[in-house]
Amino acid sequence: MFDYLANPSRFIRLSNRLFMPICIITVICLAYGLYLGLFSSPADYQQGDTVRIIYIHVPAAWLALFGYVGLGLCGLFYIVWRHPLADIAARAIAPVGAVFAFLTLITGALWGKPMWGAWWVWDARLTSMLILFFFYLGVIALANGFDRPERGSRPAALLAMVGVINVPIVKFSVDWWNTLHQPASLLRSGGPAIDSSMLTPLILMLIGAHGYFIIVVILRMRALLAERRLAAMRLRSGA
Amino acid sequence: MRPFIAQISRDLDIAWQNRQDVVVMLGFFIIIIALFPLAIGPKSAMLQSLGIPMIWIAALLSSLNGFDRLFAQDVRDGWLDQISLSALGLGWYAVAKAVSHWLTASLPLLLITPILALMLNIATTKLPALMTALLVGTMALTLLGIIGAALAEGARRSSALIAILVLPLAVPVLIFGALAAATDDGIISPHLMLLGAMLALLLAMAPLVAATALKIGETESGI
Amino acid sequence: MTPDRNTQPSAPASGTAVPCLEIDALTVLRGQRLVIDRLTHRQNRGELCILTGANGAGKSTLLRSIAERLPAESGHIKCHLPRVYIGHADGLAGAISGRKNLQSWAAVNDIMVTGADIEQALAGFDAARFADMPVQLLSRGQRRRLALARLLLAPAPSLWLLDEPNTGLDQDNQTRLETAIAAHLLAGGAVMAATHIEMARSAATIHLAIGL
Repeated sequence: MFDYLANPSRFIRLSNRLFMPICIITVICLAYGLYLGLFSSPADYQQGDTVRIIYIHVPAAWLALFGYVGLGLCGLFYIVWRHPLADIAARAIAPVGAVFAFLTLITGALWGKPMWGAWWVWDARLTSMLILFFFYLGVIALANGFDRPERGSRPAALLAMVGVINVPIVKFSVDWWNTLHQPASLLRSGGPAIDSSMLTPLILMLIGAHGYFIIVVILRMRALLAERRLAAMRLRSGA
Repeated sequence: MRPFIAQISRDLDIAWQNRQDVVVMLGFFIIIIALFPLAIGPKSAMLQSLGIPMIWIAALLSSLNGFDRLFAQDVRDGWLDQISLSALGLGWYAVAKAVSHWLTASLPLLLITPILALMLNIATTKLPALMTALLVGTMALTLLGIIGAALAEGARRSSALIAILVLPLAVPVLIFGALAAATDDGIISPHLMLLGAMLALLLAMAPLVAATALKIGETESGI
Repeated sequence: MTPDRNTQPSAPASGTAVPCLEIDALTVLRGQRLVIDRLTHRQNRGELCILTGANGAGKSTLLRSIAERLPAESGHIKCHLPRVYIGHADGLAGAISGRKNLQSWAAVNDIMVTGADIEQALAGFDAARFADMPVQLLSRGQRRRLALARLLLAPAPSLWLLDEPNTGLDQDNQTRLETAIAAHLLAGGAVMAATHIEMARSAATIHLAIGL
């Protein structure tokens, strides 16, 4: 499948076909999810209205993690099979994932202030998420840190692969250590621990956020591909 | 084995010619340590509890020194071109680089740590645990530095880039290193064992990553 | 893209042809730029291959690919002899002496050399006089001579990859280099060189035109 997708024009054709359906699903999910989450779902009996932050916080955190796994996979494909499209995908994913990681930290802080009485606590979940954010920054800095842009692809791919170690640490930090951050509510043994009135908007928001992620990544990949083609054309006409 | 030793002794030769660099690095280490009490205030109880973390932070920051030149010099000289055809190979070359860098940058730091520990009023009974943890920890940090240096080789502002790459990776070493150093249950604490496990993992990983990153020898000169 | 870029090697001057370098459909990119396009080349022991082509045509790229410093996009390079590469950079550390540089080069290549071997290699390019000075104090040509002395330390049949070997060399040392190459070819070695001067035509010489 990856061989099939590695062809840029095939990728563009496939992404063209999928683009509109994903957009529609995303808009519907986000709109309905936000309505349910912000207006129609009940406030938590302990946390009050602050609980509504999770409709942003949880999807952002998931995407920060998934984005990094994707980045690591792209790195693997680039290093092992040297697919140029893997490099393009990695460059497209990295800033988007970084923004989601940042959003996770910000919404977490906004939630933490009224709940824990502090914007930030140094527990394992928060710290490992912060490190994930730094990994994103490192990959971006490395990919763009060289005079010839494509020279950064290989080191950035390697760093992305190394950083994947951190992903399970973020995910399981709440189980491995006694953290202030609450344990997992969705992906846990024994099923989700949330009432359905809150679960529905959360799942809608999760789907919508993933759709949004895919849309932005596809748009960025197209732009990067166009940029590459332009540079290649300039080079040919210049030489 | 002979090529490996030869690479190390070559680097030590070069380091000996530039031996004043060690003085600068030690000065950096001492000054960071000296700045903490000035900022915190000279209350000895506070210094006692903060002493070990301070030493770790200072060791981490000063061990970052010199990594930007670690491979860059060999790339510019063309030595790396010679290495990739040699019997040594890039992986072992990276390990040899780590060994010589540890010997010239981290070992002097370890040697003066007891004196600094005394200045910070750290109890002498804690010294063995601190030194063992630092010994293992600096080795792990050196291997991390090798990874960072190999990845950032040839980049603009490579020293800042190396810091961005290495410091997040160094967090576990810092956490468990400081715990192992501050522990009261003997030298061989569980934290130290974890630190040792990280060192083993890095020893397997660093040569691989470094060799892959250094494989493409781009130079500005010539097509 | 242009058809006439492959040169078939002529038969060696004497004896049976022993292939030492086989390049098949080699394609190398520099970034986005196609520098070598499906190059095929055969070279036997005892042969000298001179790379010709304009600046930027890809001579250094080809040499660096054979020296394993640039990965090929596609194609194969097979080399049956140990390779010695002399590139634009001399491969000498500035802080230590030329003699120490040569010793450590021999050691990382696991070549057993005695002090006499080093002396002989230095004498081959008349470099003994400045071999104990730190390399950073030497002139461009003197460093080049130390780099070239490595060729004389390498195990006997080998493939020399020389990228502009005579930059900075004076007339005497150019002659020394030509003598060394001639002796090397006679001993069953092979040479591939990107250079503008005319080498002595005593051995089988191939011209390989590089460029798209």
